[in-house]
Amino acid sequence: MSDNNNGAGGGFEPKIVGFLCNWCSYAGADKAGGSQKSYPPNVNVVKVMCSGRVDPQFVLKAYSAGADGVLILACHPGDCHYKEGNYRAMQRHRMLLRVLNQHGIESERCRFDYVSAGEGDRFINVLTEMVETVRALGPLTKAIISDNPNSNMIEERS
Amino acid sequence: MKIGVYFCNCGSNISDKVDSQQVQQELEGLADVAYFKINDLMCSDDGKQFLSDDIAAEMPDRIVIAACSPREHENTFMRVLSGAGMNPYLMQMVNIREQVAWVTDDVGKASSKAAHFIKGAVKRVGFHKPLEKKSIEMSAYVLIIGAGPAGLKAALSIAETGRKVTLVEKSPAVGGQPVLYEEVFPNLECAPCMLEPILNEILHGEHAENIEILTMSEVVELTGFYGNFIAQIKKTPRYADLHQCIGCGECVSVCPVDVKNEFNNGLDDRKAISLSFAGALPNVPFIDMTACLRAKGEDCRLCEQSCPLGEGIILYDDAEEIVERRMGAVIVAVGASLYDAGLIPKLGAGTVPDVYTSFEFERLLSSTGPTGGQLVTRSGKVPESIALIHCVGSLDSNHKEYCSGVCCQSAFKFNLMVEHKLHDTHIHHLYKELVYPGKEEFFLYKRAKENPNAVFTRYRNIASLEITAAEDKEGGSIIIKNTLYEKAAIKADMVVLCPALVPAKDTGKLNEVLGTTSDTYGFFEELHGRLDSVRSKVRGIYIAGACQSPMNIAQAMTQGMAAAGYVLNGLVEGKQLEIEPITASVDEERCSGCKVCMLLCPYRAISFDAEKRKSHVNEVLCQGCGTCVAACPAGAMNSNHFTNEAIFAEIEGVLA
Ligand SMILES: Cc1cc2nc3c(=O)[nH]c(=O)nc-3n(C[C@H](O)[C@H](O)[C@H](O)COP(=O)(O)OP(=O)(O)OC[C@H]3O[C@@H](n4cnc5c(N)ncnc54)[C@H](O)[C@@H]3O)c2cc1C
Ligand code: FES
Repeated sequence: MSDNNNGAGGGFEPKIVGFLCNWCSYAGADKAGGSQKSYPPNVNVVKVMCSGRVDPQFVLKAYSAGADGVLILACHPGDCHYKEGNYRAMQRHRMLLRVLNQHGIESERCRFDYVSAGEGDRFINVLTEMVETVRALGPLTKAIISDNPNSNMIEERS
Repeated sequence: MKIGVYFCNCGSNISDKVDSQQVQQELEGLADVAYFKINDLMCSDDGKQFLSDDIAAEMPDRIVIAACSPREHENTFMRVLSGAGMNPYLMQMVNIREQVAWVTDDVGKASSKAAHFIKGAVKRVGFHKPLEKKSIEMSAYVLIIGAGPAGLKAALSIAETGRKVTLVEKSPAVGGQPVLYEEVFPNLECAPCMLEPILNEILHGEHAENIEILTMSEVVELTGFYGNFIAQIKKTPRYADLHQCIGCGECVSVCPVDVKNEFNNGLDDRKAISLSFAGALPNVPFIDMTACLRAKGEDCRLCEQSCPLGEGIILYDDAEEIVERRMGAVIVAVGASLYDAGLIPKLGAGTVPDVYTSFEFERLLSSTGPTGGQLVTRSGKVPESIALIHCVGSLDSNHKEYCSGVCCQSAFKFNLMVEHKLHDTHIHHLYKELVYPGKEEFFLYKRAKENPNAVFTRYRNIASLEITAAEDKEGGSIIIKNTLYEKAAIKADMVVLCPALVPAKDTGKLNEVLGTTSDTYGFFEELHGRLDSVRSKVRGIYIAGACQSPMNIAQAMTQGMAAAGYVLNGLVEGKQLEIEPITASVDEERCSGCKVCMLLCPYRAISFDAEKRKSHVNEVLCQGCGTCVAACPAGAMNSNHFTNEAIFAEIEGVLA
């Protein structure tokens, strides 16, 4: 298996999954692209139509598949293309943090934030901060066993 | 499964930073990838031809295109797939330009990141289903509720194209609020003269046959969805034949019953059979059965007997009726009403004589009003001074926090109309704020300010104003005190309160009937305040005019046109309604009937089948956000193209 996440110096390169809503955040990421400023390559983007589609299971799945962090980006409050999806996402995120905390997974490994279609720079800032935060935390050693997507079990990673 | 991967160099935009060879190496061993092909510019004509030919030659089951952002060319490539005979949903695009090549300095890292993205897509695309756009029959017929400026303009715009509309109006007359005004701001144009041509066009114009007008009617039920609504409309009897009556008014003059005239805000009386006001259209009287002697058991037939056309015009047997209409879209244009000034009791509305609301004052100024347009107090005296109180209930967290905009304009209008009628009458404006935005509105303010008889005084808080009947009538029968400055009392013979505009009566009820929503203030809620102010949150139901937000006639007319534009654009006779396939769907086996999805859906696209006890998604209304899918505790909701399986696979893929 190739691994882009190991830097030249062999230092820890976190793997992060970023769930981006199609209308604002994904467009914000494209906007950042348009400005051609370089940012860390650690975030693997998974596009969803709305942050409201982000099922907590997706987050658990990401951890179990090897992610050290998860970033959920949504339209700003009031701006969701589907009106309210981002409020649901925000509520679910809060709930999820409780579950993660109970299992010793730091809140910082799961960040929810807002990036609008015009905020290319904000996208870069949020993403870079996330990468640095997770880098400082080090690799995730807890793992979520969720081959059964309905299971929320969290165990040590093998 | 045979998956083909296409890699676009995008000129050198991608290939400068992403090394296709390295990517190809990293993908080696990935199950199902049958081939990896590179093209220099896939979105060019040559590139599209290459893709099309290659799909025909390779016959892949699924393809992945690694190129620019899907926001750029996903549709382009979907069309190529369709053209090549492949279902367009069997493709996944990977954004290796905006999100990789352009934002990663190091070629090795960029290539590796691109490879991870592509792995995600390869894993995901295996779960893609061939989706088809569906199409269903739709009706091009339109229902418009409310016949004020907004509804009339919408009706006319639609009828002019040959389409049929039904215009439902609650009151006996069409025209909305402005037919009750004498003159309209900002240029003091004669209101009836301005509206008459439109009303005539609606009633007797070239396209009148396309407009069915149901006066004294209300929509009591709406079922169905965009393209296929069914409305039940309750028609209150008018007791006069709308088509045969010539409106001569003989019947009105012989009627022996007098009742308070609500069309003049109770400032005078009308007969039990009457027109709403002189010149009301349709020019056919109605019988108010709550007042008619026949309702009290008497066999009065005076109106029928007086009719020069004989029997059969006055219809004593007319009865309430429910009529059904089918339509593709609904335009709501039910207008607004005034904030109840009685909620600020110290202003004397309804308790101190000669304290009027702005609507009442409009009628006093009107030649069809209770005094025939003569400006006199209740005791018949010409007022020496009139106080106009702006911002009644506006800009006030105890009442309405917003500014309606039209109240200042109407107060300036009153100033000038009073000046024209009564040259010597003093006018006192008491205001919290003065607003006059717009290219014409400012002049009205300027002219009002220049009126030598006008004085403008600012107050801070309406709660400190006290309006009472003066004991000493010298200088005015009413005294207006500002309790903050006892000495600053003003006397006037008339007071006009200019309250905020608030949602029309029954707006809440209508919202329930239509399934639309109301905003914080109770107005019909728009889809988006700036982009889509005339669309409600329910697809196919549009909102125009003051029922959406306080506004003036020009704005209401414009919104009526805008709503008509949406309707004309979306509903076309003979055309089918296309349904996007990316929607949610219910797996009935798993659905436990908990209704969580229903509560979450912002589009009211989910209904509950009470018999089966299962949720049901309406594909026309569903916009495919997936919020219900993520919330379903039973895992019974699926989202087409964004299935759990596909997303799980993508997550695994990008991390592999
Ligand atoms: C005192 C005052 C003076 C004004 N003067 C001016 C002026 O000079 N110039 C100007 O540009 N604007 C003026 N305005 C603003 C103007 O009245 C509005 O902009 C205009 O009336 C809005 O038109 P509309 O079609 O949205 O609603 P409306 O004119 O209110 O018409 C709505 C129609 O819907 C009907 N209706 C209500 N509920 C139902 C229902 N449930 N079912 C069926 N029908 C229903 C009503 O009977 C009415 O006919 C003034 C406002 C006020 C308060
Ligand atoms: S569409 Fe962006 S959060 Fe809903």
